[in-house]
Amino acid sequence: MSKSVLGLYSDPNQAADAMDALKGAGFPLGTFDVLTGTPYPEGAFGEHVPQHRLFRFPAFGAIIGFTLAIFLTAATQIAYPLVTGGKPILSLFAMLVILYEMSMLSAVISTVVGIVIESRLPNVNPGVYDNRITEGLIGVVITTDDDKSDTAIDALNAAGAMEIKQA
Amino acid sequence: MASEAIHSGAQTDAHSGTHEEAHHELPARVEPDVITSELVASTDSNSTGVRNWMWILGIVTLVGIGVGFAKLLIEWGDQSEWGYTAAMVAFLFSVFGGAPLVAIAPTLAKANWVRPVARFAALCSLASIVCTIWMIPLILNLPMLVVDGARRRSIWFEGPDVSPHMWALVSMITLITAALGLIYAYALPDFAAMRDHSTGWKQRFGSWMARGWIGTTIQWRTLRLRIGMMGTLYFFTFVFVHFIISTDFAMSLVPGWRDAIFPMYHAISSIQAGLAVTVLGLWAARRYMGMDKYLHLDQFWSIGRLMFAFTLLWGYFFISAFIVYWYGRSGSDKMWIDYLILGPYFWVFILGVLFIWFTPWWWLIWNRVRRSYNGTAIGAGLILFGVFLDRVRLYVAAWAVPEDRIHERFLTEYPSAVFPDVMDLFIMVGALAGCVFVVLAATRVLPILSIWDVQQFNLLYRPVNYMKTKVSLIGKPD
Repeated sequence: MSKSVLGLYSDPNQAADAMDALKGAGFPLGTFDVLTGTPYPEGAFGEHVPQHRLFRFPAFGAIIGFTLAIFLTAATQIAYPLVTGGKPILSLFAMLVILYEMSMLSAVISTVVGIVIESRLPNVNPGVYDNRITEGLIGVVITTDDDKSDTAIDALNAAGAMEIKQA
Repeated sequence: MASEAIHSGAQTDAHSGTHEEAHHELPARVEPDVITSELVASTDSNSTGVRNWMWILGIVTLVGIGVGFAKLLIEWGDQSEWGYTAAMVAFLFSVFGGAPLVAIAPTLAKANWVRPVARFAALCSLASIVCTIWMIPLILNLPMLVVDGARRRSIWFEGPDVSPHMWALVSMITLITAALGLIYAYALPDFAAMRDHSTGWKQRFGSWMARGWIGTTIQWRTLRLRIGMMGTLYFFTFVFVHFIISTDFAMSLVPGWRDAIFPMYHAISSIQAGLAVTVLGLWAARRYMGMDKYLHLDQFWSIGRLMFAFTLLWGYFFISAFIVYWYGRSGSDKMWIDYLILGPYFWVFILGVLFIWFTPWWWLIWNRVRRSYNGTAIGAGLILFGVFLDRVRLYVAAWAVPEDRIHERFLTEYPSAVFPDVMDLFIMVGALAGCVFVVLAATRVLPILSIWDVQQFNLLYRPVNYMKTKVSLIGKPD
């Protein structure tokens, strides 16, 4: 059975010490994290920075939109082959506006979807949390087995936690 | 922190006299819990007397919509009667649509001063919803591509008959989607703060919108990325919508008006207007919403400099277009000058140039003006009035051209000046009120300044002594 333990700190240096203490106690990177109400510079607490794939969503969406737009504009022009101004039936400049707009529309929509997915939202089981984090307190949270939770609590307390919460 | 910037900011001990006048006070640091409690409390309608204003604006908006509906029934199909509505929609879209770029560009450039500004600038994009609603009567009155059996000149060479109508709507919906995405990207941590510290429906709404946000490392990391992505997408869509609006709702309605620079001119003046409305919004937030603790001279000074730069750019873009017509001297070139500059809207043009360019130029050129709250606000007011006159000159003139002359090579007889009637005035005031109402209503749900942005401003900023003066030490995280 796993357990979430949260240590609360008013001083960022203490939170950084708590992260070091958890590492020192043998907890693997990725099992503990820092919770803040404002973004601190990455790595300020020595935390593990996970990778993301957010950039793939707008790229994928734009390719889908662009492909659909090519099909739409080319198919309509071939289906109704009207020569305009002596230009070729498949004129790129006549297609550009629609290619651009459909690429953008698809990229925007897929980015919004990507935002939701890559933010790990909705987070239906956020675990242990404290409302004071959005008031400036810093939380160090670890999810570990029941039998190791005392070790985690000791490490968090050693760094000067003002409060420990468990869930 | 990878790098640090040192900004000179305050008086020296030895030269306190002149330097105290020349430099501004450094912002005081505010504790994070104070920031959270004060900004969450600012969303309370009773705390700032905003409720009365919202009632007034709401009623004016509804009256405007009612009059617009009546006008649609009475003056259906009479294109020339919709010039002022088109001008107002173009003006409002230019003003409120351009504001988010004030947040996007400096944020992407990692400027620290923009942090307290970004939320209000992003919220302005909500007015695109009002603009889209007011575009409906314009779309219904916009001539079809095929008029009297012949295709009129437009950017839609082979498109269906309703291409300008359809793509105008699609582009606006794309912009609204990007705007909502941008606002949400910025606001997610603040929804969590509302969940944690608000009460009643705002707490429930914040909880639902926060989607379990707790401020983990990956959540903050993706926040920065999605702000960047949504900002970029908003910018690209913004430019495209200006292209569509300016060509389909102005240029293609006037036979012989062919101007490759006009869409860019339209977008540039929109950014100028967006900067201006941001300054006015911040000025009002300081004065009437108690935000003076978080909005400092640095924000006004920085936006003032951008406003000055874009004021000069307006002159550059205008003369770039004008010089082609001036030297071109073909029939259509002379028509452009005679109808849109020297014609029935000559005095609107003169006043527009005075307010959009000449007066702000010679007002904002002074350092002392740009370094003052009221000075930049006055400059912003001048610019907004100038942009309004500019849009009236262009759009009223364009919509005044009768549909039966749309196939002429270029106009040879110019329609006389169209003045606004009572219904136009109601519609214009109602549309403006609608935009302000939407932005004000949004500040009842989210604080007008972003909580996490203001906290980060304080986190990365320190007033320090440097030799015999005081300076701002700003950490840049990436």
